[in-house]
Amino acid sequence: MKKSYFLLILALITTAFLNAQNSEVNGSVSGVDGLSIPGANVLIQGSNTGTTTDFDGNFSISVKSGDVLIVSYIGFLTQSITISNQTSLTIVLQSDASELDEVVVVGYGTQKKSNLTGAISKVTNEKLDQIGVARVDDALIGQVSGVNIQATEGEAGSAPTIRIRGVGSINGGLDPLIVVDGMVVDNDYLGSLDINDIASFEILKDAASTAIYGSRGSKGVIMITSKDGKEGKTKFRYNSFTGFKEAHQSDPYYFTTLEHAELERAATGSIQDKTQYKLLLAQAGGDTNWQDIIFDGGAINSQSFSVSGGSKRTKFSSALNYLHDEGVLLTDDYKKYSIKLKVDTKINDNISFGINLSPSVTDRTRFDGSTHDILRQPSWLPLYLDENTIKFVNRTRDKGKYANAKIGDYAVQRMFDDFDLANGVPMPNGASGLDISNTSNTNPAAKVLESDRGDRKFKTYGNAYFKIKFNDNLSLRTSFGGDYQNTSYKRWRGIEHSRKGASAAFLQLSDTNRFHMVTETYFTYNRSIGEHEINSVFGTGAESWNTEFNTAYGAGYTSDLIQTLSGADPLTITAGSMDYKSRLLSFFARVNYTYANKYLASLSVRRDGYSVFGSNQKYGDFPALSVGWKVHQEDFLRDSEVINSLKLRLSYGMTGNPGVDTGNDQVDNYPFLALLASSNAIIDGSAVTGFNSLNISNPNLRWERSIEINPGIDFGLFYNKITGSIDYYERKSDQLLLYNPISSTTGFNNALVNLGEVENKGIELELRSRNVSKENFSWSSTFIASHNKNTLLDFADADGQIQSIDAKRAAEWINQVGQPISSFYGWVVDKEIPTEYLKNPWHPIGAKAQDVYVRDLNGDGLIDDDDKTILGSPYPDLVWSFGNEFKIGDVDLSLLFQGSHGAEVRNMGDQYIFNHFNSGQDFNSSTPNQQFIKQKIFTDAIIQDASYIALRNVNIGYTFSDDSITSQLGISKARVYLSGQNLMYLKADNYTGFNPESINNTSSTTYGYQRAGSPVFKTISLGVNLEF
Amino acid sequence: MRQIKNTLLITLIAFFFSCEENYLDPAPTSVLSSANYFTTPAQVETAVFNIYDGIQGVNSTSTNDNHAIQFEFYLTEMRSDNTRTKSSEGESAQFENYTIESTNGIVANYYQSFYNVIYRTNIVLENLEAAGSKAVIFEAEAKFLRAYAYYNLVNLYGDIPLITSVITPQDYETSYTRKPVSEIHQLIVSDLTTAIEGLDNSSRFRASKAAAQTILAKVHLSLGNYSDAQKLCESIVGSGNYSLESNFKDIFYNEGNGEIIFAVGYVPDSQESQNFSAEWLNAVGRTSGVNYLTNDVKSALDEMGGDRTMYSYRIDSGQNTQNQVVKYLPDGDSSLGIAATSSDPTRAGNDWIVLRYADVLLLHVESILAGSDSTSSSAALTSFNTVRNRAGLADDGDAVITKQELMDERRVELAFENHRLFDLIRLGEAQNVLSAFASSIGASFTSSDLLLPIPQREINLSNGLLTQNPGY
Repeated sequence: MKKSYFLLILALITTAFLNAQNSEVNGSVSGVDGLSIPGANVLIQGSNTGTTTDFDGNFSISVKSGDVLIVSYIGFLTQSITISNQTSLTIVLQSDASELDEVVVVGYGTQKKSNLTGAISKVTNEKLDQIGVARVDDALIGQVSGVNIQATEGEAGSAPTIRIRGVGSINGGLDPLIVVDGMVVDNDYLGSLDINDIASFEILKDAASTAIYGSRGSKGVIMITSKDGKEGKTKFRYNSFTGFKEAHQSDPYYFTTLEHAELERAATGSIQDKTQYKLLLAQAGGDTNWQDIIFDGGAINSQSFSVSGGSKRTKFSSALNYLHDEGVLLTDDYKKYSIKLKVDTKINDNISFGINLSPSVTDRTRFDGSTHDILRQPSWLPLYLDENTIKFVNRTRDKGKYANAKIGDYAVQRMFDDFDLANGVPMPNGASGLDISNTSNTNPAAKVLESDRGDRKFKTYGNAYFKIKFNDNLSLRTSFGGDYQNTSYKRWRGIEHSRKGASAAFLQLSDTNRFHMVTETYFTYNRSIGEHEINSVFGTGAESWNTEFNTAYGAGYTSDLIQTLSGADPLTITAGSMDYKSRLLSFFARVNYTYANKYLASLSVRRDGYSVFGSNQKYGDFPALSVGWKVHQEDFLRDSEVINSLKLRLSYGMTGNPGVDTGNDQVDNYPFLALLASSNAIIDGSAVTGFNSLNISNPNLRWERSIEINPGIDFGLFYNKITGSIDYYERKSDQLLLYNPISSTTGFNNALVNLGEVENKGIELELRSRNVSKENFSWSSTFIASHNKNTLLDFADADGQIQSIDAKRAAEWINQVGQPISSFYGWVVDKEIPTEYLKNPWHPIGAKAQDVYVRDLNGDGLIDDDDKTILGSPYPDLVWSFGNEFKIGDVDLSLLFQGSHGAEVRNMGDQYIFNHFNSGQDFNSSTPNQQFIKQKIFTDAIIQDASYIALRNVNIGYTFSDDSITSQLGISKARVYLSGQNLMYLKADNYTGFNPESINNTSSTTYGYQRAGSPVFKTISLGVNLEF
Repeated sequence: MRQIKNTLLITLIAFFFSCEENYLDPAPTSVLSSANYFTTPAQVETAVFNIYDGIQGVNSTSTNDNHAIQFEFYLTEMRSDNTRTKSSEGESAQFENYTIESTNGIVANYYQSFYNVIYRTNIVLENLEAAGSKAVIFEAEAKFLRAYAYYNLVNLYGDIPLITSVITPQDYETSYTRKPVSEIHQLIVSDLTTAIEGLDNSSRFRASKAAAQTILAKVHLSLGNYSDAQKLCESIVGSGNYSLESNFKDIFYNEGNGEIIFAVGYVPDSQESQNFSAEWLNAVGRTSGVNYLTNDVKSALDEMGGDRTMYSYRIDSGQNTQNQVVKYLPDGDSSLGIAATSSDPTRAGNDWIVLRYADVLLLHVESILAGSDSTSSSAALTSFNTVRNRAGLADDGDAVITKQELMDERRVELAFENHRLFDLIRLGEAQNVLSAFASSIGASFTSSDLLLPIPQREINLSNGLLTQNPGY
């Protein structure tokens, strides 16, 4: 009896012991389609114990009864299984639909990403609002293939230049079409949007996708979708960042007087009088680093607050944003205020209504000067006179011009001329002495500090819609909306602004009001019959634009006290006003067809009538066709473990470009009429009004047209561990609006005709990979590259046209068929002129010779036009970006490198900053081979490599986990981050300036001209995201 | 419910289609369309005023704008022995050194400006029917201005295309065929004859009979028709409408004075201002100074100018080895008693005098001289001495006027008024005088330098139809 009790107790204990111990469980993980999933995570909840499935999807883990296993893999819904006494488990994971069936906004509707047959890239706003920039377009750099965004102007709030797939027009518009929440707005609107409120950007790149926008689609379309409310608890979100910006300076443009003196001593054995005097001045007042003065850096601060939520019937979303960017340049500044209100509501089961209202104000102060003019000032010149430098001012020279100079005045170069070096004082009694000035201009920083130039824009965007659902297949949507813009522009120049003093002081004001209204109505018809599925849209729209412009000007200010027109000399006040209108009427239709979820086809057509074109040509038709094949749905690929998604697509479409940009608004809006504008002559002292012809009429003027073919492949490998796409495109743009030159004996120099042809061909590649995805560590990378080749195919009578921008520095461009639209043209450098042949190479500081020996390319012993050749191209060959995102526990880190290679720039800044035109740099009469000498600006000496590699964005953030203070405060998510832009910016070796992206004049035929411009800047900011 | 939805739909669609007719044709409200214009005399007169606007030129720094008469000094004074650039800067240095290239922008700008003026005159001439009773006056005005434009062009470029109506870009033959100088002269003579018949002397800023007579006299002189020229000059003298200002300074600083026969008006500090006078000064305009005196003309003025010298030039206060023009100073000169004409010197209001009475008096002498080396005619002496006396100089010492004396007198009287080059060419002395002058400054002058090149742009566009002047 005792023995059985003992055995029983032993058995019980053993059983209990066994139960308390871990037991091995084996399992397999697969998807709904039966395919096993390798690398899936299997974790015991509440512990750090876990494993991953092997190549066959099998795993083995040690568990106790009651443990909960969490099985997860990206692309699938996570499952949890409670262990009781199983020894083997078969786990089937469901696909995460939102990932694979991601929806993309296309024109007039949405489409599943997997069914797209055109080239559309989507960028979701995950961390774009944490990039320390003021504008939404600046945040898109490096995010999309085929889109080149260049900061051509670096002032606070200035728009970057956006080009999608190269330059396809010569005189027409070159900017892509911008659509916000389904309504077309003008490009300027990008400066008023709040990036915190944007959910995603969809960029339509090929003609088949943009053809639904018909006449406006050939430059690509950027569709912006703002955030919506969602059913559920009301969510509050607060995002804020504060940062500091600092310019990247240029080393070649930095000089000090001492270094210069030492160079001179090393080369010639001594220093000349002028240099000795300069050293005296530099020792007294210190060297001035002009880059430090004009690139004074600034702070950037953004505050954004949003509320969104909804019920079953109604959803709302509202956002407030304030942004202040102090800009990197002296005096530039940008402020933005915006509010958005969006409500969508269901009136009943079939009718829904929505309204979206978004007013905003932007206030911009410009840097009203040229950096090249300021940076060429010598280092010995102080900004203001102080007690050390005032004793060098010559009060008796030039009829006592500087007799009243006092401490705190702007220093002017001529003040220091006529110096008596022997006695160390200015020459008395107006006598001549040592001169060191090289310009009679006033202090260059005075030009910027004594002027005030800026604009304030008030914009309101509004859109309301009704949607009626007739039945499961057919619905109707009609919308009415518009935007109103008022731009108030002011430019003031004070009395100390220029060497001409008060007579050059003026105030220029102007006011532009633009009303844009649009109404669109379309039906959507969707139907599935067996394996066939049709989604179609057909509708109509009408738009109108009315612009009113008025301007006033006054001069003759005697002081800076009153800076409005009431302080001007009334006799100098002039005013003007004008207005113009344009209208668009459209019909559009699109059918998307899918068979067996494998074969895709899409057909669309749009017919646009535009008031700007002649009566013979008012309407244009823009059709497009694209097809696709989801190869991975085929039987032979179904079982593939490597390729889980593969789509081949081909698109072909025709789009248009309506922009006429002649520089005269009236001609731009009514170019097919022969217009007369008033002109004035002065007869017997008073004005009489005449009427002058502005242009030669052309009733056959019509759209520019683009025809594009785009084959592409989208793929996903290893269960979407690696996804990507490759696109090849060829786009021919013809019927280009050309200012065809004609004989001046007609009374005009050119006539607007549709004659030109340009081609853009290229390849785009996007690769995304999920390198590691574990519970506590993940790493993914993105690589994007685009290559575009631009060729001018037809330029009518202007083939081989040579143009220059500035008559005083007439460096040339050539527009030649077979080459890109514009190429740099001139002589090729052979060698430098040795310093012993220069008249005075040591004055002014930093000056370099104006001339150089050039190559006699045809060997005829002379240098003439026959020795000129194409020196380079302003368009890049390759634009790429490489991004990495890491998540380590609660810390996330992302890095984006971006670069551009192959573009060149004509850096005219060198001519100014290295004082080429100073006569001391001229070669003397004993220089040999003078027939081979030409000015550097006409050669490739100033054609420099504009390639760069930049660390565009770095973002490190820490998310507070739920269990800490945050949940006690009612905050559902809190994250702090440190963000840096352009922390590293590598320029090419032969580039001397500070910003290879800066372009002074963006006209297509003389592209790539740079005159110093604004610098690249780095920004470091600290930010916080709160959700509650 | 369905019915309501349907009607709503149909109404919406109908709404769109009904507006279609005029919707895409909004009429411009800030400019006019020429299709319905030029139907009344007042409207034709606006086209006449437009011609004067064309001659004024645009005051801007853009190379695309037509600068017309504001650029004339580069092509006339700076190519003569009167003026030069101060520091041999830019394209303008090509003029004084006789190294002008066919791509020179100023040469092209003047060509296109004056063909644009000719275009404006042809528009008036094609719309005379609508002018009603004023047709005769408008025709005379337009023809005077057309002749004036052709006179400038033919003297500068030689054989040029002859455009006598409004042409289109497809009229290649007309645009690119250079007609001989004699044919251009025929048009000028015929146009001026019509002008003389239709005009009177009521305005100094619009076409007048005397202005037409003056230019016709110059053309006759260059063709050798001395008696025709003499009659024209005597007619102007006899009209009694013009007289010399007693003070030389007042010619240029007393707007609309009695000596002016034809001037181009400007208004200060406005869009109707000019900037050529600012360019003639150091550090006022965009250049560092053009139209600066040569040593040659300075000596001539010092020796022979009399009272005129101090109002013709002065020493540059910023660089006292250089001399600047005093006629047409925009920013005044207190030491000379000249007030500024504008608060911004680059938007000056100084009217430009094209023709004045002193010129006519000296042309009278030239016509009596009739190509010989001297004259002692009393009529010639009267005219000659009137001009000299006004300048505070005594009568011609030996009562014989030689050709050289006449040339010198013209030079010091009309210095910097864009006459010197044309005078030298008309008197047949350009080759001698300018080659001697060129050697003295270290440049070289050949007979091909007497004409400007046809702008390279025109040659390129003509695809071989247009020929270039020799030497370019």
